Amino acid sequence: MSSAGLIGASRGWRRPVDAAVGILILAVLLFPVYWMVNVSLQPGGRAVGTPWFPLNPDIGGYVQALEEQGANLITSIIVSLGSVVFSLAVAAPAAYALAKFRSRWLTGLLFAILVSQMVPGIVVANALYSMYNQLGLLNSVVGLIIADSSAGIPFGILVMRAFMMNIPQSIVEAARVDGAGIIRTFWSIVLPVSRNALITAAMFTFLFTWGDFLFALTLTTTADVRPVTLGLYSYLGSYVNDWSAVMATAVLASIPAIAMLVAAQKFIAAGATGGAVK
Amino acid sequence: MTQRRAAWTAVPLALFTIGALALSGCSGSNAAAPGDDADSILLERPAGSTNDKKVYDDVLAACEETTGVTIETQDVPYDGYLAKVLQQVSSKTMPDVLMLDNGDLPQIASSGALAPLSDFDINVDGYADGVIEASSYDGDLYAVQPVANTIALFVNTDMLAAAGVDVPTTWDELKTAAAALSGDGKYGMAFSATATEEGTFQFLPFFWSNGGDETDIATEAGAEALQLWVDLVDSGSASESVLTWTQADVNDQFVAGNTAMMVNGPWQFPSLDEAGVPYEVVSIPAPQDGDEIISPLGGEVWTIPQTGNEAKMTAAASVVECLGSDESQMALASGRDLVPTNTELVDQFIAENPKMAGFAEQVPGLRARTAQLGADYTAASEGIYTAIQTALTGGADPLTALQQSAPNK
Amino acid sequence: MTLRAERWLQLAFVVPAALYLVFFFGYPIVQNGVMSFQEFTTRTFFTGEAPWVGWYNYVEVISSPGFGRVMLNTAIFTVVSIVAQFVIGLALAVFFRRRFPLSGVVRSLLLLPWLIPLIVSSAIWRWMLDKDSGVINQVLSGLTGSDVSIGWLTDVNIALPAVILVNVWLGIPFNMTILYSGLQDIPEELYEAAALDGATGWRAFWAITWPMLRPVTGVVVLLGVVYTLKALDIILGLTGGGPAGSTETLATEAYRLSFGQFDFGAGAAVGNILIVISLIFAVLYLRANRKAVDE
Repeated sequence: MSSAGLIGASRGWRRPVDAAVGILILAVLLFPVYWMVNVSLQPGGRAVGTPWFPLNPDIGGYVQALEEQGANLITSIIVSLGSVVFSLAVAAPAAYALAKFRSRWLTGLLFAILVSQMVPGIVVANALYSMYNQLGLLNSVVGLIIADSSAGIPFGILVMRAFMMNIPQSIVEAARVDGAGIIRTFWSIVLPVSRNALITAAMFTFLFTWGDFLFALTLTTTADVRPVTLGLYSYLGSYVNDWSAVMATAVLASIPAIAMLVAAQKFIAAGATGGAVK
Repeated sequence: MTQRRAAWTAVPLALFTIGALALSGCSGSNAAAPGDDADSILLERPAGSTNDKKVYDDVLAACEETTGVTIETQDVPYDGYLAKVLQQVSSKTMPDVLMLDNGDLPQIASSGALAPLSDFDINVDGYADGVIEASSYDGDLYAVQPVANTIALFVNTDMLAAAGVDVPTTWDELKTAAAALSGDGKYGMAFSATATEEGTFQFLPFFWSNGGDETDIATEAGAEALQLWVDLVDSGSASESVLTWTQADVNDQFVAGNTAMMVNGPWQFPSLDEAGVPYEVVSIPAPQDGDEIISPLGGEVWTIPQTGNEAKMTAAASVVECLGSDESQMALASGRDLVPTNTELVDQFIAENPKMAGFAEQVPGLRARTAQLGADYTAASEGIYTAIQTALTGGADPLTALQQSAPNK
Repeated sequence: MTLRAERWLQLAFVVPAALYLVFFFGYPIVQNGVMSFQEFTTRTFFTGEAPWVGWYNYVEVISSPGFGRVMLNTAIFTVVSIVAQFVIGLALAVFFRRRFPLSGVVRSLLLLPWLIPLIVSSAIWRWMLDKDSGVINQVLSGLTGSDVSIGWLTDVNIALPAVILVNVWLGIPFNMTILYSGLQDIPEELYEAAALDGATGWRAFWAITWPMLRPVTGVVVLLGVVYTLKALDIILGLTGGGPAGSTETLATEAYRLSFGQFDFGAGAAVGNILIVISLIFAVLYLRANRKAVDE
């Protein structure tokens, strides 16, 4: 095992120490999340003077959240996963093109993509409302999937492009020399080697869509298709807030998302590019 | 090659110019499908607490029976409610009945998107003057407000008794009482002084009762009111955190026993009762003994957007009128801890809901925030809350703060 | 396959993305740009009329008394947030390269700050940072043994650092995850080869990790800047731009002008100033990129 210092697997005795440090970091960074769970379990959702531990846990908030937000959770999952698929399908080829093909106006496209990230969301949402109204896409899962991809696609292109720029030209050339066409090269060589990039882009697209409130608010007018970010607001009136239901909903909503992220993280393996060079 | 390049830039440019023109051009249709009868209308309101929803749903069901119109409801999260309304205005997809906060009414009415009630012969006799003013824009009545709320002083009777302090009725008494009640991590007084309309709303009773005027905020009268708040915070009688507390946060502090008195509204009764806090509602202290307290009018109004569909608008008008009827007012008021706006109902209401007496008595005298300034009220409000923030953080003395942030239109 | 046919195929790679951009961003960008030169009020929403006022909105906004401070707040907020998020994110990413039990789970859990709805996290932080009853002051009091009562969100000098702190908390997962993926892409062989030459630890980092990570670093920093400049909900949720404007940035001011004052033209003007600043960074990024590619 190389003693490469900062990277590589830790020596035997260091592993539990590392794990302990990891958990300490987690505890510090996630303390607010603990607080969220704490408040969700407090009777009456007391936000002020909350005790450090929920000594008398009250799961009323969770019961309410499950009853009322279950369907919304499923909507969120479907829209988020759909957005991941759609975004990757559009963004991955574009990222590759922008990383490897040389063309003046591709730089222009890259610039346009960058600019798109700078536009405030409300501006995009307002314009989309009119467009969707004409096309009858309001209150539809497909409509939300496509709209929410407006965060994932530009982001995915930019991030995947950065990763793909590191792909050695040699492996692409090798494939071309073997007679593979441009699409085949992309599918069989570039994509597998860009696994980390794809997964990273997928994770963030999922996160963007999962947490989206603006498009959900703008592009739905009824409760038919209501992601959980909107559902949360049934407990937040203008003067009165039902915090235990809100926190419970937030906690419940985090669980499927985290489960998927944990699963995705497992696929981010080391040296994907290196293996291909060999 | 250059020709090719030009073509490739021209095509996308053409595409979105066409798209833009198309979108801006054909946005004249409204949501009504052809062949819709006028027997069902769409009513839009902010999503609220579960209790609010239930009370309103019962009243709407009763109105469905009296008017014969089916009412479909659409709940929109209150955060972004106005943005949504504006989107609907521009894409001509407004609902048939629209709820707005009374403070926002002039803005939306000024856009021309609402129909004046005079088009429909809706009866608003008996409504308090302030309510009529708030529901009007440019001389025309645009909305019906069935119930109102305002703010008053809540005191924790146990804490006051323990400190041997009487309920304050003047500003000086308020300062001494609050000082006596503070200490040991507890505060005597709490209010909301955020950089939002809520901050202004809480400040207005003090401002107006001392003679302050929202059309010219930088006066001695206004500065004195602001000085009261500055004194309360500087002396430690009120926490510095009032700068960040919303009215909901202030209530949480009161429930937790961190503050002995607070300025808040009757919508907090359910949470106070549930927490078992021993409270009493009294009127906000006056500047001097015998001065009149002028409180701001709060509450939502119901409007009829210009959808262009005559039949639906008439049906909507009958629903709006029903919402303002005596039965609706009493039901909404008692169910949601608010007060009816029809002055003729006040006595009956107090008889049935004695704990609301303190609020109900104020109804005839409630003042509309937008009465004098209409759609320009938002600028004055921003001036007021900015000045409050500057003064409370010690950035300037009250009069200078008001002068600096006064709107200069 | 002929060269021409191949060029067409290359086009096919980007056409879906280009079309998407045009439809979803083309119109809003144009409209936002145009709006900043118009007098756009609530009336405009209904009538569609928006009188052309040229540079009036920009002049109004730039010459308003608080503008200098808003620009300063925005600059401090952005620069400090980015630097802190990046450094901490990179440190964590490097740390997590060591394989230890639960490292995958811990890494995923660290994405939670991003996962939680902003309205919830801003409420939690507001309670935690409360001067009197907040947990942070309680912990500090316990640690130092004295009564700590810092007005995190109420003191005009501390509010901006507090908001930056929360923003850094939010941004760490973003930086860490992308940088971690980037680190994973660096072939182990390079480190092994370097180790044979005696370069380990910090030297290996500067010689191998940092250069190999450059494209990813560039995009993370650039996107970080763009997103931080736009950051709105977290500031609104924590302080609403207060106290006394000490946390007011260009983004919050644009929001306030549009939805507080209903002066959408002025709001669009501020929004466009924001975009111009982002553009400067984008141009720098592209220049740096081109240099890297040419190398």
